[in-house]
Amino acid sequence: MSATHHMQTPLSEDAVRRLAVGDMVYLNGEVVLAAGLPTHERMTEYLERGMPLPIDMQGAVLLHFGGYNREADGELDVLYMNPTTSTRFNTYMPRLIRTFGLRAIGGKGGLDEECARAMRESGCVYLSFPGGLCTLYSQAIREVVTVAWQDFILHYRLVKLRVAGLGPGTVAIDAQGNSLYDGLQARASSRLPQILGDLAEERGRRR
Amino acid sequence: MAVTYDLVKSVTSRLYEASLKKIPEDTKQALQFAVARENNATARKTIQIMLESAAAAERHQHFVCSDSGIPVYFVQIGTRVLMEGDIKRAIADGFDELVRTIQPPLLQHVTNPLTLERGYKGKDMPIVTFDLVDGADYLDITCSPKALGSGRWAALEIFSFPTLDVIEKYIMEVVLRAGSQHCPPVVVGVGIGGTFDYAAKMAKEAMLRPFGKRHPEPIVAAMEERLLRAVNATGFGPMGTGGDTTAMAVHVNYASGHGFTPVAVCFNCWINRRTRARIFNSGKVEYSE
Repeated sequence: MSATHHMQTPLSEDAVRRLAVGDMVYLNGEVVLAAGLPTHERMTEYLERGMPLPIDMQGAVLLHFGGYNREADGELDVLYMNPTTSTRFNTYMPRLIRTFGLRAIGGKGGLDEECARAMRESGCVYLSFPGGLCTLYSQAIREVVTVAWQDFILHYRLVKLRVAGLGPGTVAIDAQGNSLYDGLQARASSRLPQILGDLAEERGRRR
Repeated sequence: MAVTYDLVKSVTSRLYEASLKKIPEDTKQALQFAVARENNATARKTIQIMLESAAAAERHQHFVCSDSGIPVYFVQIGTRVLMEGDIKRAIADGFDELVRTIQPPLLQHVTNPLTLERGYKGKDMPIVTFDLVDGADYLDITCSPKALGSGRWAALEIFSFPTLDVIEKYIMEVVLRAGSQHCPPVVVGVGIGGTFDYAAKMAKEAMLRPFGKRHPEPIVAAMEERLLRAVNATGFGPMGTGGDTTAMAVHVNYASGHGFTPVAVCFNCWINRRTRARIFNSGKVEYSE
C-alpha cells in the first residue's frame, strides 16, 4: 500500500531509499528549479570545467519546473510554476545525479533507464508531478532564495526556492531501480497484439 | 446590426482566458466518472488531485497549467452574417489585448521555428482557419490554445487503400509512442481520409467535440467506442503512473478521398482546453465549452 510522506529538505539518503514507487511526497524547504535545455547544458559545462555552480547542488532536490518569473528592482519573484517534461533532459541527468548526489528529481513524464541506474547508485528518486496543477504548486512557493545566470531569459535561470507543502509528487522511479515508466511502456507494447486482436474481433462482430 | 471588430476582439480574448482558467464541465464529469471506475489507487489519487487543481484554478482565477500554449482559433462564418471592420485583425488584436491585460501574465510561447526566438507575437499568429456555414447569421469561434506537452505527439501518415485493421493499428502505434508524455487522461482526435491538410483539420475538430456526442454514423461511433477501450487497455493511466484511464474519449471524423488515405491523430491533455462562442448579427454572444 502506498504511503504519503511530508518531507523536509535536505533529504537524507536513508529517507530517500525507503521511498517506494507509488508513494506520494510533499516537499518542504529548499528546492532548485531548472527548466530548459540551456540550463542543463550550462550545468554540464560547469562540471566539465570543474567550476562550482552558483547554487550548491550537493544532495539537492532538482525540479524540472518552468514558470513565470518576474524581476522587479533586481528581485526575482516566481509568480507561478508547473512541471515540464523531464525526458528532454535524459542525457544530462545521470552525470548530474552522480556528481551532486541529487536526492530527488521532480518533473513530468519520467526519466530513462540510464537515469534510473544512476538514481539507484546514488540514492535518488524521481517524483512525478502531474501537469496542470499550476495553482496548487504556486501556492506552495514561500520565498525565492537565489537566482543565478541572469543572462538567460527568466524561465531558464537556475532558481533556489523555499517551498511549503509542494506536491503531491508520486514516486515514479525509486532508489531500488523500480520505474513505473519502464514497466508501463513495456507492458503496453506487450499488450498491443492482444489489443489489436480485440479490435479486430469487435469489428468482426459488427459485420 | 453586425458582428463588429470590437466585439470579436473582446470575445476572442475572453475565450482564451477562460480556456486557461477553467476546464470544461463535461471534462470534470469525465474525470469524476474515471475516479469511480479506476482500479489503480495511485491513478484515483492523481485524478482527484487534478479535480482539486481545476477547482482551485477556477476559484482563484489562476492558470490550470503554466503552458498557456499558442493561440489557435477555428472560425465558422455564417453566410448571412454581417461583418463590420477587420475581423481577422480583431482576432490578432484580441490576443494582443489578452497578453497586455491578463493576470497572472502569460509566458512567451510563440516561437520562431527557424531561430527558436520566443515572444508573444510571430509570423501567422494567431493560427486561424475559416469555414462557411450556409444560412447562419452568426460567427462561431472555437479557441484551442495548444501547448507543448500535448501538441508534440500528434502524427499523420498516409496509407494506400488501408483496411480498418491498418488504420486502427496506426492509431494505436501513435498512442503508444505518446505514452504518457501528453498529460493523460487525454482526448484523442482522429481524422481519416480527405487529403494531407484536411485529415489533420478533421482530427483537431474531432478532438474538440464535446463529450457524449458520438459520431452520427454507427460504424464510426462503434469505432470510437472500441478505440477508447483499446487506448485504456494500454495501462499508462493518469500522468503515466499506471491505471485504466489513459483517455477520456476517442473522437473520429472522416471524409472521402482518393485511395491514398491520410490518418491523423492528435491529443488534448487532461485539462482539455476548448472554449467556443457564437456571435450573432444582433450582437448577442452565446458561450459554450
